[in-house]
Amino acid sequence: MNVQLFEKLSEEGLISPGSLQKVKTPGLFSLHWELKTLLYLGVLLLSGGLGILIYKNIDTIGHQAILFAIAAVCLGCFYYAKRHKPAFSWNKTLSPNGFFDYIVLLGCLLFVTFITYMQAQYNVFGTRYGLAAFFPMIVLFFSAYYFDHIGVLSLAITNFAAWLGVSITPYHIFSQNDFSSHRLIYTGLLLGVILIAAGLLSTKRNIKQHFSFTYHNFGVHILFIALLSALFVFDATYFLWFLLLAGVATAIYFMALKNRSFYFLLITILYAYVGLSYVVVWLLLTNSSIEGIYLGLFYFIGSGIGVAVFLVNLNKKLKHHDSL
Amino acid sequence: MIAYNKTDLENSWIQQDAKDACLKECITKEENKNIKAQYPTGLYTPNIFIRIGLFLATVVVGIFSLGLISLIMASSLSEETFGGISIFFALVCYGCLELIVKEKKHFGAGVDEALMWMAGGLMLTGFLLLSDGNFDNVALYVLVFLLGGFFALRFLDSLMAVVSFIGLLSVLFYITYKLGPIAKLIMPFVVMIASLLVYLAVTRLSKKATNRPYFNCLNLVSIASLVTLYIGGNYFVVREVGNEMFGMQLTPEDSIPGAFIFWTFTAIIPIIYIIMGIRKKDSILIRTGLVLVGAIVFTVRYYHSIMPIEGAMTIGGILMIGLAYGVIQYLKQPKHGFTYEEEQTEEGAIQLESLVIAQTMSATPQRDESFKFGGGTGGGGGASDSY
Repeated sequence: MNVQLFEKLSEEGLISPGSLQKVKTPGLFSLHWELKTLLYLGVLLLSGGLGILIYKNIDTIGHQAILFAIAAVCLGCFYYAKRHKPAFSWNKTLSPNGFFDYIVLLGCLLFVTFITYMQAQYNVFGTRYGLAAFFPMIVLFFSAYYFDHIGVLSLAITNFAAWLGVSITPYHIFSQNDFSSHRLIYTGLLLGVILIAAGLLSTKRNIKQHFSFTYHNFGVHILFIALLSALFVFDATYFLWFLLLAGVATAIYFMALKNRSFYFLLITILYAYVGLSYVVVWLLLTNSSIEGIYLGLFYFIGSGIGVAVFLVNLNKKLKHHDSL
Repeated sequence: MIAYNKTDLENSWIQQDAKDACLKECITKEENKNIKAQYPTGLYTPNIFIRIGLFLATVVVGIFSLGLISLIMASSLSEETFGGISIFFALVCYGCLELIVKEKKHFGAGVDEALMWMAGGLMLTGFLLLSDGNFDNVALYVLVFLLGGFFALRFLDSLMAVVSFIGLLSVLFYITYKLGPIAKLIMPFVVMIASLLVYLAVTRLSKKATNRPYFNCLNLVSIASLVTLYIGGNYFVVREVGNEMFGMQLTPEDSIPGAFIFWTFTAIIPIIYIIMGIRKKDSILIRTGLVLVGAIVFTVRYYHSIMPIEGAMTIGGILMIGLAYGVIQYLKQPKHGFTYEEEQTEEGAIQLESLVIAQTMSATPQRDESFKFGGGTGGGGGASDSY
């Protein structure tokens, strides 16, 4: 740290001699994120490697040994986690160390691998595929709360969505979903509402309050995407969907304002802007005249400036209270 | 040269240092608040999400304004007129940039960055269109170097500094390329030596307190130069780029002249970075080195599959978890000035990590019979400096 500066600040009486002393003591060099990344990559490779290993050996005798190994490592992980975990609480608990978090994650991933394999090879759940997705989901949700693990919670939520038939991992949300399907739009709406409600409930009932961001994050995105898809797909009733979008955006806007969350404010504004622009362009281009195109260009220039001014004012309003 | 008021800048650094010290719990929140009040800065740097929003809004306004001008001129639209419009519009963007920086003191606020990129990009487009495709590569990258350098020097933008550095390397690359047959022999060394010189110059410059305005730019350029130094000597890059650019027509079994040297560079440079980083306690070297270890693995596996991928993944995973466990145990009590403890907790980082987990570790059982395990798609976030 810039010692000279703090010496000057100390002379000016802005910081106490004790603080100056603390600044002067050479800090330790933290390898925290480096080691975390290493652990993350290790877990990613190990769970992925074992998954492929068992899949490739499916018709040989070796697969039973691999299956056994996966089960053993999985049990080992949960045993380690159980022994080292802090006492359970409905509030946030501090994990004993960074290693613990990744062991919990590895255990959960291997468990899902195990179940998936059992279903594929021995058909343990028969033709009730829903059950094959439901069972790991329950275990993931349980582990997330029991071991207080936000990463596992994200896995549980994506599993829940998959159980309903929607893919909501950040990258696959557009590539693997066919949002022109009516069923998917309604499922997406339902899923979004459920997740947002779960987030609100977490805060209100004080059940792992710090999980609410994760619920809201997935919920808000899927809800907006489903609403926008509805707006694009249902031509006849588009205006009703637009009103619904406007209503939802307003509700989430005020929710975000209350929580002082710049992140949710930004995504709400962006989704709402896409919806509004779609409707404006649609109306302007119906009679396909050159005036319509000019008006469209002016709309985008004007609305862009409008959004910028709005954002600047928003920042002014919420300043000094930065949070996610 | 710098577009910003000196006191504003200096006070913003003081605020930044105080904030860091406060996060590390060296000074109290009260003291941090007093320092902030004592050294006010007029610079406008909003919250990161507002910044992203402002950037997007400015780009929308820019694109549609350009569309409007083009539409008005539509009757006489040719490559030349569009080139002229591009340059005119680049100048308009630059004028707006100067204005917003002077009047509103935007500094890393989204609007200024969007205008900077649009001005630079349109200027290049304009030159390319006006020259009718006869634009020499060297001249093009000289322009990139100059534009990036100008924006970095005047508006202290670190990405622009990297653009300028890449421009410089490209200029050297194309000058060497024109030398003829000797080019393919010396090319890797030209790139490596240029990168090394830039790295040394940049680290020296960033030790001088008078260069404080440029610390962010210098840091980012130093990372970029470490990466290009490695790329210059990496076996995969040397072989494939050589094959592509010099038409060496290698078959898959062929090696390249001096393969041994490049294999040595490929394997050793990241290790040197990590060792130097640990000795100097330099996080840029350590993190760049760790990321480049991935490049070693990729390069080796591309040419020699020592074992099937799943075996390599399993063993690699066990080794990495074991290594991390060992180091964490070793550092339970801080040793040699290293610790495992976090310097400061950031809620945002944990949320980001959980998203990366949800994305890469697909633990979703497949519905259909053709059951495939998600191997996960690379992309280990976390080791970069700009977290």
